[in-house]
Formats: sequence, C-alpha cells, structure tokens
Amino acid sequence: MTFRTCSCESELMQALKNGHWPEGCGAELRTHVDACGSCSDLVLVTRTLQCARSESERAVVVGSPSLLWWRAQLRRRNAATERVSRPITIAQIFALFVYVFVGVVFVASQYRHGLRWASWWAELVPARTFHSLRSLPAGSAQVDWNLLVLISGVGVLALLSGIVAYLASEKS
Amino acid sequence: MRKQDTTGEYAIPNVDARVASRADELPMDSDAFAGFYQRSAPALRAYLVRVSGNPALADDLTQESYLRFLCASRPEGGEVNYRRYLFGIATNLLRDHWKRPHAACIEDVPEQFLAARDGLANLDSQAILDPAMARMRPRERQLLWLAHAEGYSHREIAEITGLNAAGIRLLLFRARRKIARLLRKQMDADRRRA
Repeated sequence: MTFRTCSCESELMQALKNGHWPEGCGAELRTHVDACGSCSDLVLVTRTLQCARSESERAVVVGSPSLLWWRAQLRRRNAATERVSRPITIAQIFALFVYVFVGVVFVASQYRHGLRWASWWAELVPARTFHSLRSLPAGSAQVDWNLLVLISGVGVLALLSGIVAYLASEKS
Repeated sequence: MRKQDTTGEYAIPNVDARVASRADELPMDSDAFAGFYQRSAPALRAYLVRVSGNPALADDLTQESYLRFLCASRPEGGEVNYRRYLFGIATNLLRDHWKRPHAACIEDVPEQFLAARDGLANLDSQAILDPAMARMRPRERQLLWLAHAEGYSHREIAEITGLNAAGIRLLLFRARRKIARLLRKQMDADRRRA
C-alpha cells in the first residue's frame, strides 16, 4: 500500500471539521474531491463518523454529575486519610521493630549470663521486692535495679524512635 | 463564586484542612463540573462504546474517567484541554482493561465481538458504519474516531493514545483507506438490496 497524501487534504479536513463541506467550499475543491481517491475517502469516512457521533450523542442519556462529584469528593478524602495515616503506620512498625530487636538482645544477654527468670520475676512483685531488697546482698539488688532501669530506658528509646520516625515520614 | 461544600459535615477533622487546601486548587466547582459533564459525557461515552464495542464497559469507564479527572490535578487551558485530558484517561483505562488477564489483548480480540451494540443500529449511519467498524482493529477504530469524529490533530491523538505522532499519520492513512473500502462495499450492498 502506498502512503500518498494529497495537498488539498488539510484544507478539506478543516472544511469538514468546521462543517463547511460541501456548501461552504469552492467548486474547485469539490471537483478535486470527485477525482481524488484519497480526498473522497476522507470525505466519506469523516462524514460517516461525524453522523455516527452526533446520533450517538443524541441517543445517550448521561448519568447524574452530582453523584460523580460526591463520589470524587469521597475518593479524595479517603486518599487524604490514607496519606495522613501512613506516617503513623510507619512509626508503629519502626517502634515494633526496635522493641523486638531489644527483646532479642535482652534474651540473648540473659541466656549468656545464665537464666535466672524465676528469681528475677519473684523480685518484681512489690511486697516481696522490698523484702528481697532487705534480705539480699547489696550487689544483687543493684543488678536487678539496673535491669529495670535498662528496660525502662529501652522502652523510652523505642517510644522516642517511633516519634522520630513519625515526624520524619510526615515531613517527607 | 465557589459553591459551598455541602459534604463538609461528614469530613474527617484531621484531614479536612488538607482536603480543603487541595479543593482550593481545583479550577472547577460542582456547577461548572455539571456543565462540563453534560457537554462532554455523551462524546466520551460514544468514543468508548465505539472502540470497546461494549456499552456496559463504556458506561463503567466513562464514570471512572470522570472520577479520576476530578481527583487528579488537571492541565491548564480550559475545557478544550480538559476534554483531551479526559479522552487520555479513558484511553488508558481501556488499555488497562485489555491488559487485565480476564480480557484478551486489544489486537487479539476477534472482530465480531467488537461490533458496537449500543441500541443505535437502527439509525442510518450506524447501519452503514457498524459492519465496517466491526471489521476494523480496535486500534484503527480508536484512531479513526479520534481523528474524524472528534476532530483531533495527529499531535493531540499522540497525546491521548501515547503513540508516536509520526506513526499515527501512517496508521490513520491505512485505516481510512480500509474503512472507506468497507463503507463503499456496504453501501453498494444496501443499494442492491433496495
């Protein structure tokens, strides 16, 4: 198939687009279209498709724009909610990760020094803790208090890291 | 004057400020959108029906096109650009639909399944056009409709379809020649029957 465009094509296309064909066009152009295969194809196809378009438009009943407007508002709000809640989720995941990491480190360190869970938990009970603190040697109580301080410190660290992660992700 | 947002009472407090700041950027309020929708929706639906050959799908894609249009930041330049942008959204949605596993590729769909059945077959131009369009490839229909029914230039069609503007010229030339031959054959057959 040869690709040959006619020099009158753009003029004819413009006339068809503006609805000037055939009455608004000169006799010269009309004669040319009768003789030129490419231009007669252009007229036939354009006129047929334009008619089909206008008939389709007339026959179609479109839906309610208000409903679409409302649905779009809802979708925009949902997207905004998602954007706002994303940093919180990231911060929660990060804090959880820190907690798990610290927990694993703690368990590993306790395992290395020998597991003394039963005695440690018993000393966490307040009534017995004071009793134990009085009865136990000073060095042993010092170790348990250090452990409590360590756990609290790690908790605060995880909390702060979560807040930092939240602020950083919200800023980005 | 901008119309008061009547859905504000249902707004989520923390989000409301962000939504409001975004809504301020929108160049169209609900009344302007209603007018734009009434003017452009029939043409968009006609395009989607003609290219997809499926009126139900065309209805769904028309709605989705407007929803995306309203949620996206739209181009400058008024209604002419809005329409072109809308046709671009619809074309992308159509392409996505064809890419999904349950649907075949645009080029693989048998032509007889793509004939438009939108209840307009009794109209004169539809009666001549339908059989011819049914024998065209979907891509050819898309180009023919955008160029000849909507009157878009090659550059505008390239923007809408994402194709190369230089390639569109050749594709359109071939498609036009093919459909013109089919239309003449159809008209001859109708004349003989009459």
